[in-house]
Amino acid sequence: MSLTKRSSISDVAGVVSEALERAGIRTVLSGGACASIHSQGAYQSVDIDFIVQSAATRPAIERTLAPEGFHRRGDQYFHDLAPYYIEFPPGPVAIGSDYSIAPIVQKVGAYHIRMLSATDSCRDRLAAAFHWRDAAALRAAVEIALRNDVNFQTIKKWSESERSLDKYEAFLEEVEKSKRRRRARGRTR
Amino acid sequence: MKLVGRSSPFGGETRTRVLLALALLGESYPRELSRLLGKPLNGIQQAIRSLEKDGLIGGRSMGRTRLFRLEPRYFAARELEAYLKRLADPDDDLRDRVATLRRRPRRTGKPLTL
Repeated sequence: MSLTKRSSISDVAGVVSEALERAGIRTVLSGGACASIHSQGAYQSVDIDFIVQSAATRPAIERTLAPEGFHRRGDQYFHDLAPYYIEFPPGPVAIGSDYSIAPIVQKVGAYHIRMLSATDSCRDRLAAAFHWRDAAALRAAVEIALRNDVNFQTIKKWSESERSLDKYEAFLEEVEKSKRRRRARGRTR
Repeated sequence: MKLVGRSSPFGGETRTRVLLALALLGESYPRELSRLLGKPLNGIQQAIRSLEKDGLIGGRSMGRTRLFRLEPRYFAARELEAYLKRLADPDDDLRDRVATLRRRPRRTGKPLTL
């Protein structure tokens, strides 16, 4: 499938993920794009972060992405039409101090993407909320939790190890508030 | 010019000094780091860019200023901070310079001198 200016973030991530996989470059989708997919678009991002898990040179990545319509500018890869850009932040795949992450391969639309699970994507956004007090990241974590069967026990345990149990409680409160608001909206319809 | 007797375990003296300063200060901006470390601003900015790219530090915008700190989401953030503090321990010169920086609030309009 050719990417166009109307391509969604999951289409772009899917095309890139599968092209890299075909070239033998193993990657994991993380960050905002992953949160956007798990939150079903409730959270928006323009950058698509892939952590490279196999030895790959910059020319190899450039050669792989060029036929898909991407060109490199500095450390970012821009598409001629699609309004998203690709980045390869340094590894390992980690969420705060936890680097024992097991990515999943999820079918997103027509593509198979190796990415963070919903629980891990939620933790990834919470890491930004906890450590940088990023309100947008907290919102994204809430949206992921509302739309997926995330493991709250895992998140709580990790929050404790990040010395942010109080912030986890605030997150939980936000999730409950959002659920109540949704129920109230449902009743008025 | 590289000073004799100073180790640079982070790939360059300026990179190492920036990390040490951030470990001691908590948060800083390029011009302050340049003054504190006595190094040209463009060298500091270059070191910051490469450290940011490596995921060791992170920055946020405060008005027109970019404030940097050790990236708390880095998977070895705690170990890195402990190592840097250990490295900074015998560096009396750097610790003295950091100690002279005023960080507490000053009321708006309060004169600096009489």
